[in-house]
Amino acid sequence: MAHYLIKRLGAALMTALLASLLVFLLVRAVPGDIVAQMLGQAGDDAAAERALRRFFGLDQPVWQQYLSWLGAVLQGDLGTSWTRGTPVTDMVLKAFGVTLQLGLFTLAFATLLGVPLGMLAGIYEGRWPDTLVQAFNLLALSAPVFWVGLMTLIGASLLFFWSPPLVYRPFAAAPTQNLQIMLLPVLSLGLLQAAAYSQFVRQAVVSALHQDYVRTAIAKGLRTRVVFFKHILRNILIPLVTFMGLILIQILGGVVIIESLFSLPGLGRLLLTAIQTRDFPVVQGGLLLIVGVAMAINLLVDVLYHVIDPRTRAS
Amino acid sequence: MGKGRRNAALGMAAGWVVAWLAWAPASAYGPPVDGAPLGGNLTIGSLVEPPALDPFHQAADARIAVSLLMYQGLMYEDPSGAAQPLLATGYEVSDDGLTYIFTVREGVTFHTGAAMTAADVKYSYDYIRNPDNGSPGARDFNAIDAIETPDATTVVFRLNRPNAALPMTLTNKYGAVVPAGYFDDDAARNRMNVESVGTGPFKLVSFQPNSLLGLARFEDYWEDGAPYLDEVTFLFMPNAASLLVALRNQRIDLAVLGRPQDSEQLAGVPGLEITRFPSLNHKTLDLDANHPVLSDVRVRQAISLAIDKDELMRAAIGDYGTTIGTIVAGMQDAWGLPLDQVPFQGPDIAAAKALLAEAGYADGVDLELATIIGYDWMDPAGATLAQQLSEVGITLGINKVELGVWISNFRSRQMGFTFNDWGTSPDPHLLFYRHYHKQPSGADFRNWNNDDASALLAQGQATADFAERQRIYKAFQEIFATSVPTVMLFSPDWVVVTTERVKNYVQHPTGWYFGLIRAYVE
Repeated sequence: MAHYLIKRLGAALMTALLASLLVFLLVRAVPGDIVAQMLGQAGDDAAAERALRRFFGLDQPVWQQYLSWLGAVLQGDLGTSWTRGTPVTDMVLKAFGVTLQLGLFTLAFATLLGVPLGMLAGIYEGRWPDTLVQAFNLLALSAPVFWVGLMTLIGASLLFFWSPPLVYRPFAAAPTQNLQIMLLPVLSLGLLQAAAYSQFVRQAVVSALHQDYVRTAIAKGLRTRVVFFKHILRNILIPLVTFMGLILIQILGGVVIIESLFSLPGLGRLLLTAIQTRDFPVVQGGLLLIVGVAMAINLLVDVLYHVIDPRTRAS
Repeated sequence: MGKGRRNAALGMAAGWVVAWLAWAPASAYGPPVDGAPLGGNLTIGSLVEPPALDPFHQAADARIAVSLLMYQGLMYEDPSGAAQPLLATGYEVSDDGLTYIFTVREGVTFHTGAAMTAADVKYSYDYIRNPDNGSPGARDFNAIDAIETPDATTVVFRLNRPNAALPMTLTNKYGAVVPAGYFDDDAARNRMNVESVGTGPFKLVSFQPNSLLGLARFEDYWEDGAPYLDEVTFLFMPNAASLLVALRNQRIDLAVLGRPQDSEQLAGVPGLEITRFPSLNHKTLDLDANHPVLSDVRVRQAISLAIDKDELMRAAIGDYGTTIGTIVAGMQDAWGLPLDQVPFQGPDIAAAKALLAEAGYADGVDLELATIIGYDWMDPAGATLAQQLSEVGITLGINKVELGVWISNFRSRQMGFTFNDWGTSPDPHLLFYRHYHKQPSGADFRNWNNDDASALLAQGQATADFAERQRIYKAFQEIFATSVPTVMLFSPDWVVVTTERVKNYVQHPTGWYFGLIRAYVE
């Protein structure tokens, strides 16, 4: 296990390094930079432009900019935001806190709703509960997230004369306000993921039901409950955990729209603004964090395999 | 200090023909309200967020809109078009127009607690006019040769050429008065996002990315009794739908709508008031004179003739604006060429077709229009323009461009054929010179390079007499409309939605939030 972990960590580090280079070059490949942004339509003075370029170190060759950035990153310093002047580490971690809360809440909601629905549909394959669940899945999967979000927002306002508070406060500081803010985004994002979940679980249950070991279990007279929880659920756990990891990554990567719709100061919105203002250190820091988190989740999922399924330990 | 002593101190031999300009104190920002209740807070919803709060290095309009609550210049851009004293109490001009003597207001305190003196004024304007300091506004101040401070309340601006727009330049768009030496520390400009160091009625409390900007009343503010509000909070909202919902549920008290027609969704909602104000913003169509097709003036004239501005405006913003000829709506009365005298105004399809045929495009021509992502009005306006131009044989493709890329193209003078959206301080020099005077003293983004127009713009800058200035700028506008570097389309109204508790908020025509300084809540 230790050997396996070291191997995986080494590969992860290489990936991170490659990602850092890619991220660094990508943001610079986009036309326009912070200097153009700051001077806008107003200033076209060459001296002013030179002065600002020097201030941000943009007058250095790109490889030199990369090396000095990488050097700082390796010492745990993501640099300073070019627009705000605050440390990038603080900005991205604070924003990531919001996104992570949204992601975990959504995952919990989607799991609690999607897994039972999927199992129900799988067990009653072809009968009316299955049809009902499938209809829900189809609807939720085909409705775009921004539309669902918009509808919940407008619906809550018109039906209940209520709209979420506009200033995000962390759960620890103001739990009620935090939950009020999180309600609609988690609902909008969670419905889609619950549908994806339930579709997946249904498929797994249906195919498990046709497996020999299930037929044997039923034939030898085990109670239905035992068959489901001990045999079927245990066997679909592996794909389920993989799926959970994928969904969490997907949620974290795709929250920009929801964060924008519901005024959440999360990582997606921070990145979007930073890209628009060409605040390179923030873009680089934020993307690096996302790469790191995605790799951590993948690693965690792999480790969980080992725990859940003894067969993978031998190989 | 008496005038005689002042002149002696400056060694001035020439007579001073321009009378001392005595202004009633506290006239900037509009009349104070007797008996306005003090205290309370006001929450503003805004779709745009300032990237930073630094008035010296950040050109973004969203920055200007809010930084003027914390930072002040010597003068105030009165909507009437005359600059009014703000941190100055008045000024006089030498008869050759090359020397301006400002008297600095006494009893003004910075947010840092220090008292403001003439030395701070000199430092601040010396800093911004030096291009090596990287300010987008530097070019506006390049008529200044030297700034002197003969005593603690007098600042003398010596110019290298007369500049009638100097008082309007010393307002609140670029730069402000900050404590002398503030920028000596390289990190100082970033600190402006953490604490304010200006003299304005509000000071910075909190500025959180993608969330809010919190300001609080500055207790030692120099104007007696102002401002009335204790706190002002800007909430940055990423989309119009959330903004409208927040207004409906009164989670915010005030919003200036980016899409004025959105106000129709709020009409009749109890507790909300909707008001329209005139604007100094305008939506334009820019034509790069280096473009292979647009370099022919006949093509540019044909495009101007093919456009039905009324139809275009209705498609873009409904009836919430005014179509314009050669100047923003808010300056038409004082400075504009009368609309019935503006040449090459459409729609006149036959004349446009004739000009195109003359230019060799009788069989039609393809053009590509750039629109900016996030500028909502450009999408419907682009579709309408394509339809209008097709009637004269121009096939229009539309290319949606991200703002950063667009600015980069614009600044490198490769704008091609594009919609544009900008505003101005209410002075024709500040509106026209930078954009349309040929290089190097102007920026001439459209590669217009027009000698006659540039000569008039230089004259306009040098002329102090109002009637003479009017004549000069009208002559400029005639050349402008004939040669068509830009088709000016329309000025949208500012549509302001407030809850009933908000009183006396008057929207400044620039779109900036000066109105909060005289607003109060009940």
